[in-house]
Amino acid sequence: MNSTRITEKNTSELVRKGLKRRYRAERRFRFMGIAALCISVLFLVILFGSIISKGYSAFFQWKVRLNVFVDPARMDVDNLASADYAGAVKAALRREFPEIRKRREKRLLYRIVSIGASYQLRDMVMRDSSIIGSTVSFWAPLDDDVDIYLKGAYGKGSGRLKPLQVRIIEKFRQEGRIKKVFNTTFFTAGDSRDPELAGIRGAVTGSFYTLLVTLLLSFPIGVAAAVYLEEFARPGRWSDIIEVNINNLAAVPSIIFGLLGLAIFLNLFGLPRSSTLVGGLVLTLMTLPTIIIASRAALKSVPPSIREAALGVGASRMQTVFHHVLPLALPGMLTGTIIGMAQALGETAPLPMIGMVAFVADIPHGMTDPSAVLPVQIYLWADSPERAFVEKTSGAIMVLLAFLMAMNGTAVYLRKKFERKW
Amino acid sequence: MFHTLSRLFCLSVAVTGLLSWSQFSFAAERDYISIVGSSTVYPFATVVAETFGRTTHFKTPKIESTGSGGGLKLFCEGVSLNTPDITNASRRIKKSEFDRCRANGVKEIVEVKIGYDGIVIANSIKAPRMKLTRRDIFLALAKNVPDPSGAERLVPNPYRTWKDVNPSLPAEKIEVLGPPPTSGTRDAFVELAMEGGAKTFPWIKTMKKKNKHHYKEICHTLREDGAYIEAGENDNLIVQKLEANPHRLGIFGFSFLDQNSDMIQGSLVDGVAPEFEAIADGSYPISRPLFFYVKKAHVGKVPGIPEYLREFTAEKTWGPDGYLADRGLIPMPDREREKFRHDALNLVPLEGI
Amino acid sequence: MTSTQLFITVALLACAGFFLGKKRAAIMRDSSGSHSSPGIRPHSTPVYYGFWVSLWAVIPALLVFVCEFVLKRFGHVPFSFRAGVAWEAVAVTSGIVCVIIAWLRLRPETRARNHIETGMNFLFMACATIAIFTTLGIVLSVIFESIRFFKVIPVQEFLFGLKWSPQVAIRPDQVGSTGAFGSVPVLAGTFLISFIAMAVAAPLGLMSAIYLSEYAGSRLRAWAKPCLEILAGIPTVVYGFFAALVVAPQVKAAGEILGLQVSSESALAAGLVMGIMIIPLVSSLSDDVISAVPQAMRDGSYALGATKAETIKNVVIPAALPGIVGGLLLAVSRAVGETMIVVMAAGLSANLTMNPLKAVTTVTVQIVTLLTGDQEFDSPKTLAAFALGLLLFILTLLMNIIALKIVRKYREQYE
Repeated sequence: MNSTRITEKNTSELVRKGLKRRYRAERRFRFMGIAALCISVLFLVILFGSIISKGYSAFFQWKVRLNVFVDPARMDVDNLASADYAGAVKAALRREFPEIRKRREKRLLYRIVSIGASYQLRDMVMRDSSIIGSTVSFWAPLDDDVDIYLKGAYGKGSGRLKPLQVRIIEKFRQEGRIKKVFNTTFFTAGDSRDPELAGIRGAVTGSFYTLLVTLLLSFPIGVAAAVYLEEFARPGRWSDIIEVNINNLAAVPSIIFGLLGLAIFLNLFGLPRSSTLVGGLVLTLMTLPTIIIASRAALKSVPPSIREAALGVGASRMQTVFHHVLPLALPGMLTGTIIGMAQALGETAPLPMIGMVAFVADIPHGMTDPSAVLPVQIYLWADSPERAFVEKTSGAIMVLLAFLMAMNGTAVYLRKKFERKW
Repeated sequence: MFHTLSRLFCLSVAVTGLLSWSQFSFAAERDYISIVGSSTVYPFATVVAETFGRTTHFKTPKIESTGSGGGLKLFCEGVSLNTPDITNASRRIKKSEFDRCRANGVKEIVEVKIGYDGIVIANSIKAPRMKLTRRDIFLALAKNVPDPSGAERLVPNPYRTWKDVNPSLPAEKIEVLGPPPTSGTRDAFVELAMEGGAKTFPWIKTMKKKNKHHYKEICHTLREDGAYIEAGENDNLIVQKLEANPHRLGIFGFSFLDQNSDMIQGSLVDGVAPEFEAIADGSYPISRPLFFYVKKAHVGKVPGIPEYLREFTAEKTWGPDGYLADRGLIPMPDREREKFRHDALNLVPLEGI
Repeated sequence: MTSTQLFITVALLACAGFFLGKKRAAIMRDSSGSHSSPGIRPHSTPVYYGFWVSLWAVIPALLVFVCEFVLKRFGHVPFSFRAGVAWEAVAVTSGIVCVIIAWLRLRPETRARNHIETGMNFLFMACATIAIFTTLGIVLSVIFESIRFFKVIPVQEFLFGLKWSPQVAIRPDQVGSTGAFGSVPVLAGTFLISFIAMAVAAPLGLMSAIYLSEYAGSRLRAWAKPCLEILAGIPTVVYGFFAALVVAPQVKAAGEILGLQVSSESALAAGLVMGIMIIPLVSSLSDDVISAVPQAMRDGSYALGATKAETIKNVVIPAALPGIVGGLLLAVSRAVGETMIVVMAAGLSANLTMNPLKAVTTVTVQIVTLLTGDQEFDSPKTLAAFALGLLLFILTLLMNIIALKIVRKYREQYE
């Protein structure tokens, strides 16, 4: 406070004199507040903007129409699965460009079409073997370098593509044989080393299983712990220790939980490395404090009169909790749980320690299958040498953010809907 | 309440039942191959694994990038199915590791060499291409170098610019981004490039016989005064940093140069450019072999190991025209390929180091 | 029989027990009311008896499972139990026997509800103690390796050494540089980045919180708060990607325009992005404490003629200061432990520098690189990761305890 000594006579004079300055200070302060808020929001906008501008192209893909003669000589009818489909595709390309003779140039030609074309051809033949001996026409994915060239990632340049390849692509373009389509592979395939064949389904499934383990363990345990601490524990040293522990665990760096998982779940219990089960267990330990704290807050907000009324008509303490307190606190607990799950979904740091940063191409089918999770997939792709993975990384980030927003949105909605003032 | 409770009870029984079904294979055997090891071999092994998974009825192997040493550590832990079946390495298994394996019951290990990886020294294409010799590299990056006056003693590295090292080089500050000591690339780089350069000084070369430890210390110790910058193992970032800063050089595997040939170029070493053919025929001096090791005890217990080996050692995979060559792996000569294919398919175990 | 099948069998057994017990109790209840058989009315309602019986299916299986695990893990399996077969048979048969006995011994006097409630109480307590076990587990899992590390490298060298360069020969035949395990440069790097992060987050977060709680109308609040919450909900791996690919090149470019030499993995870029990540944490914690300041204090200040800004500066903030400090300390602890941003955007070279344009390394980066790179089995390198983990744990623990103490004490002041 201002300790200027002011005589009564000129007080109002002084105040008036200072008023302008003080109002200016007021405006300045207010402006600083708005500015801080705007800058924070601006960061959000920049972050989203840069990711969306890098990643939206991951949802599209350029394809080329190929006319492939399914040569009976290449097809072993007894073993259709491992026939020479790649050879058939290469032959089709050679037929289209008979002027390309040199070995080096031929290799450049083959590199325009993705290896996925031969898998596609195989699937077609396996589905209907009567097409052997005829010429089939289908839309095949282009190689990742060609794909990002067509998407304009190289600007005016041609990137890694050689002039010959650019000529071939432009010829295709003039003939109208390439088109841009929605990239369904991105949502239906597992990881792949070929960016044009890579998808996030494996990672999404892995995240789902991991979260399932986390949810099934952390929700009941978290609620039980909160009920115990709030309703049954006698205040004393023991419950104090537990409380301090929970609050600290909520702020322990997540990487430490990775060290814990390595020592306990992998080395002591011998659970399978890289599995969603272990990932889920580690994330359970990590989200438990969040859920316990939120659940306790929810229990606290239930007024004591409810408990007293139930006890008054002869219910036991357990009955009071189960019949009256829990139902009222449940929405708050659910909200806390969803927020905890959202945290778990985005967590990466502890996972490298328990072997979850691995190449897993298959879609996992259970909790002991090895699997990646979405954030790990993002980390792995961000590390890959192929340039086309940059857009895939951003695309995967967009999917992850969409899931997170949906979860947090649900939490906010639940909170709004069930908010109750006593 | 009874209804709530009993409903909850039934629900939990149902959920646990469902869950159990979904993970029915808990104690059962592993039905996929588990691979760990070097981050240098990782890009090649993953491609083979993916092709293997797509073209056979076996599951796609799981591959973890743990580094060569980390991989061998996990590999040598024992023969239970919780341990990996195969480990990749960007160097040969060491005697200490081999002994450790034996001690833990991993008696039979099949060694398969898969090819070579060139180590390149590259800069942005915006700058002129560097023409280096191994001697230049040694003089520019070693912590202690022979006295520039010619006396046979070591002085702390005095060179600031490339021109100081060799008058024919540009007058740019020496700044090289390279891998940390945890990386196998670093091992190979100091062994091949630095040691190769040091050997051009006869008095250092003679030291090798007299005092091997001191000799290695001279050859293998990199500068710590900022000229050599440890840049982590994320090679993508190194590429971007080179692009942003054209006078810097970066050290990494050939496959990265190959992938990013629109942004960076490899420097000539001893007059040879790091190109596919030059590395393959051995005229490019800095290249190292890559390996993987198979635990024979797991063959037959984990499905698909022989088939994976067949896929990996097929001509269409690791041959001169194979798909690994497209990814930047330098194939071995025909005779060597033949030998290792034979070893792999017949599961010939390693006798000793 | 796999453990899964065992699991299902036990679950089915429990189910059967539940219905059998419930049924029997229901019959007892119905018959007690009739005039023909004036039995005693059961103490509890039938469901409790159901639970009571089904409990007897689970308990033996659980005991057998624990025994099996302990013996297999820590001792030799006695007799000639063939692994997997005998144990499960024991679990199932003992379960069946126990259920039958429990069912037969079911009496109206049995205080099923009390038994169940006691059991539940224990279960709840066990759940609550998981927190303690987790902390214990963390300490145990890092402490043994750390002790082994400190046998090779003296504690004082680790704590006060000025050089971090884990380039010791990681194999006997390799020659590294002078290996040094002084954690000071690593810690200094960690705190440099955290300091930059706080320099971004503290003013922005605090001012946003003040504006939102004191000035903003409810509509702006309704929009701005979720926006900040989104910022808090973005995974750190995304921030890492953003820092490495967007911010770091921009920082470098900006530095070059100003004629400064900026390292590509400058502490500044990582710190800036980390700061953005922490803004919502700071703002929500400060928002809490600012709203907790009683309105009466503000009204008093207004009555003296102070403007809003003066009231905030001279009354609200001093009153909320302990809470704000506690919140900031929590934010620092978060910054110190943050991993993915620094793994992707910060460097590995341990420079002891205060220059934010240079590359520094952090504790978390070192843990990740030491544990995932090439390593020798028991070399100090690998063990150093655990020592760093221990250091990080202790460091954050201390900060958290202090911060939570301050916050709690402050809250009590106005309640």
